[in-house]
Amino acid sequence: MVLKIAPILKKKPTRKLMIQKKLWKKNQRSLEIMLETKKVLICLTGGKSSTVLLDLIFNGLSQDNHKKLRIIPFFLHLTGIEQKEHDLKTAELIIRQCQHYNFNIYVVNISKFYLQNNNTLPEQNSTTEIINWTVSDPEANIKEILKKLTPTTSNDVEKRIKRDIFIRVASELQCKYIFTAETTTTLAINLLSNLVIGRGSQVENDVGFSDNRHENIKILRPMKDITEEELHHYIKVNKLNSVSTDHIRKNSLQSTIKTFVSDLQENFPATISTVCKTADKISSTENNPKRCQMCKSYFNMMTEKMTAIQATIFSRTVSNCQPSEYYNVDQNTNVKSPLDHHHHKTSMFPYIDNKLCYSCSKNYLERGLQDIFEIKSNP
Amino acid sequence: MPIPCKAGCGKNAMLKRPKTGDALCKDCFFCAFETEVHFTITKAELFNRGDSVAVAASGGKDSTVLAHVLKTLNERYNYGLNLMLLSIDEGITGYRDDSLETVKRNRDDYEMPLKILSYKDLYGWTMDEIVAQIGRKNNCTFCGVFRRQALDRGAALLGVKCIATGHNADDIAETVLMNVLRGDIARLKRCTAISTGSEGTIPRVKPLKYAYEKEIVMYAHYKKLVYFSTECVFAPNAYRGHARALLKDMEKIRPSCIMDIIYSGETMAVKDEVILPTQRTCTRCNFVSSQEVCKACVLLEGLNKGLPKLGIG
Repeated sequence: MVLKIAPILKKKPTRKLMIQKKLWKKNQRSLEIMLETKKVLICLTGGKSSTVLLDLIFNGLSQDNHKKLRIIPFFLHLTGIEQKEHDLKTAELIIRQCQHYNFNIYVVNISKFYLQNNNTLPEQNSTTEIINWTVSDPEANIKEILKKLTPTTSNDVEKRIKRDIFIRVASELQCKYIFTAETTTTLAINLLSNLVIGRGSQVENDVGFSDNRHENIKILRPMKDITEEELHHYIKVNKLNSVSTDHIRKNSLQSTIKTFVSDLQENFPATISTVCKTADKISSTENNPKRCQMCKSYFNMMTEKMTAIQATIFSRTVSNCQPSEYYNVDQNTNVKSPLDHHHHKTSMFPYIDNKLCYSCSKNYLERGLQDIFEIKSNP
Repeated sequence: MPIPCKAGCGKNAMLKRPKTGDALCKDCFFCAFETEVHFTITKAELFNRGDSVAVAASGGKDSTVLAHVLKTLNERYNYGLNLMLLSIDEGITGYRDDSLETVKRNRDDYEMPLKILSYKDLYGWTMDEIVAQIGRKNNCTFCGVFRRQALDRGAALLGVKCIATGHNADDIAETVLMNVLRGDIARLKRCTAISTGSEGTIPRVKPLKYAYEKEIVMYAHYKKLVYFSTECVFAPNAYRGHARALLKDMEKIRPSCIMDIIYSGETMAVKDEVILPTQRTCTRCNFVSSQEVCKACVLLEGLNKGLPKLGIG
């Protein structure tokens, strides 16, 4: 059932009700999970979709008994990646946005929280995390480290770090669910971005309705079927104000994909919805019980005789030595076997399929990442 | 300042490999490229000793390099294969008639027997006639469907064990992107397989699966191979062009993205609850089909009855 928002509408109140009804129907799935009142952590960036999510939550809580959204919401805003003044302004606007609905929000600094050993949260509704944060150790400043990486890796690592922080905050507040405000466009871009950096098998958790990588806490995306147009109309009709824009670094694969998707959508309007439907049908090949330490995804068990990893490692080997060295001859049996690629394997894909997945392994090679992320030696 | 060849042969580097970024001299590059194809063939167990293999030849760079490399490796490593060339004439004036001359040149240079099949003989229509009927937007569907069947028929006539096509890494990455954009789940599952085929069909293999298009061009250029380099006159309108443009833009930012996309495709699978089409045979022509009547028969019927849109989306 697709809502076509008529360009000319007769009565404003009817339109508002229509959109609200529609958006609620789309959220039905998430509501069905809420059989009893549960604590939910809601992550806001201040962008358009966060703004709409906030409003929907407020409306849900104010409904009559049988339709009421049965959650105890906690709100979270992560900051500390952009310029200090910009971060401060965004944070103040989000706090004000939440207080308009009588909600309290935690504003957490990414660098400070990620590197601290415990999960203690700052005071609610305060921007002290931004104002008081000084860089004592530049090596430990996530913002600086992200700047050192290539833009593509930076975008990817930022997402993984944020996810990690969401889970930690949720467990501190004893929330079993986390809501994030991704919409069809963001999810289509995320699917293609994951595909091009080698995370094709992680699509089910990264782009699907629920992210089940943690045993106790699920990350849900209640707005995954809502389009940009619907967001735009909702904001206009309800006279809401979004306070920030999504931040994807320029000159990265992700920004190229974002431009590509919006251009293609103009000529082929079904593009984004088709991509999202495809995301719903993809899972990964047989899973290894071991997990990547960085993104917590399961490793893939490769059943094919030859894979892209082997091809890449072999290319590196073959470009760095003479033909006579390609094959080892075993001294005892005089049998030729392919060159032991172990050296190149560890230099091109450190810890692969052992402690890190393919993409995290490639990210790990970039300077700076090893400073903040230690591979735990015990499996 | 001249950079020494990374492979340690002592000569100065002449080029930079797009795949790994290493600087190599010409001979080491040839050696590396050929050995990689050999690695792919042996690791993925594409051929068996004594097999006859039809190399799908279009006269373009991919099939010319494929024919050249297979011949070289067959001799160097003694695969024991019986190689031959198979070419399809779609009847596109100004494109296919010229490239067929190149294929004939390949036949003479590599001393391989050549068989040419044409759409006119097989189906009674040339691509020019088809485009006149249906316009320029969906013609790649016709050409692709007809060509696959034509290759199968040709291979059956030649009595070969398998068909080797010149699909390179860029082609496969584009196909993965295109299938995601179009929501084609069934194809998404199969497109990264190095060897495709099923019961009752002649398998098709892609020995150049992990070779970058740029490297194939470099190989052909430095080896001074003769190939036909114009693209199909109908190509600009194809949907694949969008995926190709995206891939080219991304390759500039991160050249390894091509291998990353192939890896993603290899590790993706379809969820169990998704219903995929099952394979059976066409009731009309007895070729492999997922529907009761195969796509080629449907398209042909549409053309013959004057309903060209029959079978198109």
